[in-house]
Amino acid sequence: MKTNLKYWTYAFLVVTAITACKKDEDPITPAPTVNEEEVITTMVLAFAGQFGAADKELRFTDADGDGGGAPVYDLDTLQAASSYSVSILLLNAATSPVDTISNEVLAEGVDHQFFFQPTGANMIVTYSDADANGDPIGLSTTMATGAASVGTLKVTLRHEPDKSGAGVSGGDITNAGGETDIEVEFPLVIE
Amino acid sequence: MWSKWFVRSLITHLVLHTLVPLCPANQQDLGCRAVLSGRVLDDHDKEGLSYAALSIPAIGRSILADAEGVYRMEGLCNGRYRIVVTHLGCAPVERTVEIEGNTVFDFKLEHHAEQLRELEVARQRPDENVGQAHAQLDKKAMERSAGRSLAEMLATIPGVNMLQSGPTIGKPVIHGLSGNRVLTLNQGIRQEDQQWGTEHAPNLDPFTTDKVTVVKGAASVQYGSDALGGVVITEPLELPREEGISGELRGIGMSNGRGGGGNGLLQGGVKGVRGLGWRLQGSGKYLGDSNAPEYVLSNTGLREAGASASVGYRDHRWNVGAYYSWFARELGILRASHIGNLTDLNNAIESGTPWYVADFTYAIEAPRQDVEHHLVKAEAGYAVNERGRIVLTYGYQADDRQEYDIRRGGRTDRPAIDLYLTTHTADAVLKHWVGKHMHGKAGVSGVYQENINVPGTGIRPLIPNYRKQSGGVFVLEHFPLSPKVEMEGGGRVETTLLDIAKYTSNDVLITPQHEFINSALTVGANWSVKDSVRFRFNVGTAYRPPHVSELYSEGLHHGAAAIERGDPELSSERSLKGTIDLEALWSKGRFRTDITLYGNRIAGYIYLRPDGVELTIRGAFPVFQYVATEAFLYGADVTLQWKLTQRASLRNRTSLVRGRDLSQNEWLFQTPGDRTENALVFELPHIGEWRSAEVSATSRIVFMQSRIPVGLDFAEPPGTYHLLGLSASATRPLGSGELLIGLQVSNLLNTTYRDYMDRFRYYADARGADLTVWIRYAFGKY
Repeated sequence: MKTNLKYWTYAFLVVTAITACKKDEDPITPAPTVNEEEVITTMVLAFAGQFGAADKELRFTDADGDGGGAPVYDLDTLQAASSYSVSILLLNAATSPVDTISNEVLAEGVDHQFFFQPTGANMIVTYSDADANGDPIGLSTTMATGAASVGTLKVTLRHEPDKSGAGVSGGDITNAGGETDIEVEFPLVIE
Repeated sequence: MWSKWFVRSLITHLVLHTLVPLCPANQQDLGCRAVLSGRVLDDHDKEGLSYAALSIPAIGRSILADAEGVYRMEGLCNGRYRIVVTHLGCAPVERTVEIEGNTVFDFKLEHHAEQLRELEVARQRPDENVGQAHAQLDKKAMERSAGRSLAEMLATIPGVNMLQSGPTIGKPVIHGLSGNRVLTLNQGIRQEDQQWGTEHAPNLDPFTTDKVTVVKGAASVQYGSDALGGVVITEPLELPREEGISGELRGIGMSNGRGGGGNGLLQGGVKGVRGLGWRLQGSGKYLGDSNAPEYVLSNTGLREAGASASVGYRDHRWNVGAYYSWFARELGILRASHIGNLTDLNNAIESGTPWYVADFTYAIEAPRQDVEHHLVKAEAGYAVNERGRIVLTYGYQADDRQEYDIRRGGRTDRPAIDLYLTTHTADAVLKHWVGKHMHGKAGVSGVYQENINVPGTGIRPLIPNYRKQSGGVFVLEHFPLSPKVEMEGGGRVETTLLDIAKYTSNDVLITPQHEFINSALTVGANWSVKDSVRFRFNVGTAYRPPHVSELYSEGLHHGAAAIERGDPELSSERSLKGTIDLEALWSKGRFRTDITLYGNRIAGYIYLRPDGVELTIRGAFPVFQYVATEAFLYGADVTLQWKLTQRASLRNRTSLVRGRDLSQNEWLFQTPGDRTENALVFELPHIGEWRSAEVSATSRIVFMQSRIPVGLDFAEPPGTYHLLGLSASATRPLGSGELLIGLQVSNLLNTTYRDYMDRFRYYADARGADLTVWIRYAFGKY
């Protein structure tokens, strides 16, 4: 009987010791929140006007990433019959300091390509940059607007596209394959 | 009088279970006059065992011993016979006896030790799964499917299908339900390994198992939560009890994937300590990319490694045992299934071919999974007296899972999902007799589980950290109602406490708590109409508290191109399932039929329902919300066997499942299509040293699933397909052991097809022809 009591006392001590430890910090408490590193919250198309045309900007912002709040478009009207030198800036504003994702895209240029598909809007897009293999990336382009028109411009970023596919380096997405990292359709007015 | 027919009825079950009944040959007529007589004794106290059943399978004779264990079998021919003796609560004993004239032979059975001892959950004792429809993969079937995943093996059983994510990931589906609605008991311990994910295969090594039983009813009373669709029970052979080393070596080669695997096992007893046994086992598997008929399924390589050790002791009163197993798996996920948005998915569906195909390789790149699973089990049983036995079981599992995605900025080598799940399970069960005829078990069980997201992924966790604690009490009793009918009834109450810890999208730590209280009941009966016809009936309930993923998912599910939203208000699923199972032999055993009919009504059935679209930087994604509905699943499993000649037989196995969403008046998503499989089996005579040679041809038709919910899927279900298969195997003695060789060709004609139950059917065709060869050498008594 005596030994029994002893065992129970030990057992009690062990149990209280374990539970006491647990109260210090709950093991399931997650580590302090991490910001998603690869999220693209912001895409900016900066239109630098050539030959006297004013600078313009198209911006897509989804501050909380996928899901959550709806994204916001900040739009501009492009000038008809003009030429713009366009550069794309991708940001992750969820981290501090703000992370410039477009630098990662540039660094992995061989594995990325932007595609531009205007619908209804009169414009022609030409790549003005190149990756290590001489194929376009699309972070820098020249966009030439035609007559006044209303439509959309769809901007797509593909990861691991087949840049040697037919028409792909010319900007035709049909045979590009790969996975879509970005697909944003901007409403566009040219006047 | 009562006890007499009680025992007889149980014995009838045993005989039907273990022997080939209804052999037409009867040697009594041939003028043989030899008599075999003697007693069946309890090896422990040398007392006679009443009403033991003796049979000589070779000539189809069986008799019962009397109350003193005395038996007498007349009209035998002189010769050597294999005699099987069975008795309630004893392991069957086989002895080869030389009969010449009047021969006296005593059989000794170990009675006390076996009566209430129970390592496994299901066994040949009739008191397990009395009314539950169930099916088994025995050692032979397991050998034939060596090298396959557990889900692939089980999918040969009528009523069991496979939910796939490409060639490397398969999950069993029982009567239309899978994932957390199917419970797996590995070595008697609830397997806990993140089964909520459709792309999470069960982490267990089929090489550690010698027998798999699938219980097809709702079985929460016996096994606890999650047993809605059924239970998969994997068991090893019992440990040896006597000295002498035995074991096996196995090698498997597979053409599709250009790889193979192997297993080594060694076991033995300890000299001088009867009852003490040990076993060591190790296995491995290595496969490269699989092939569809027209292209390589890039990044579908697989590696597996496993090892286990067990030691156990048992005598008339005690049994103690310890078991440890480790299993690791690395697998590639079809590269072409990795898509960015809905446009990519639609492109994949429209093009009909995978967008990424590379040359065959053994290399595995992202997307890939890396999992490890540890299981420790300790068990002790003690016979308190002749009428009661206590069994304590403790299990510890650690499941370590990393999933790697294709990521930007050199992050591909960092896991996108990194989960560590630890689970403690403990059970205390009292097996007992109540009065003369009723026996059963009563017990308590508890689960303590913690799920941790290992920091460092740089991605918001898909499921939050949580702690789950549950405790339950149950009782399950069996009692004969008449000589031919045995009843079963029981109940369980279980409470589950779920603590969540997660950060909201505004980075606020929240710690919600959920409590679920559930109960289950079961009533079953086993009615042996006659020796050749048996019915099983069961009506049972099962429950499943919602999984954390169903309560708290929020975000983009990349593989599914969908945004999934949990609902913290969801309550437990409750299933009421009825099964009727008819097993019968007709025309002197030449026809065998086994038919199971079932209906399963599930209240609070949780599934993903489309709920609009949401715009993201990757375009618009469909949103799916976890909601509860009333579901009803019903169907039939059929096995027909026709012995055409002494050596040839024809077998049909058919599965039909229907699933309805009663609230929406719709079909349920992802219900398997109808399947029927015909096999022609030839057993060949001895060829030289070769024995048990068998050749079979199979034809498997899976019909197009046309019963689908409107607007829930991205593509039309794939069409009907027909696959042919061939297999052959034979054994021969070699040295002191036995050599088995076999080969199997699946998808013989290299047919191009896609299966509705393969989630990657949007991206690529299923595997093409595959030639598997296996060789096994067993020595000693293994």
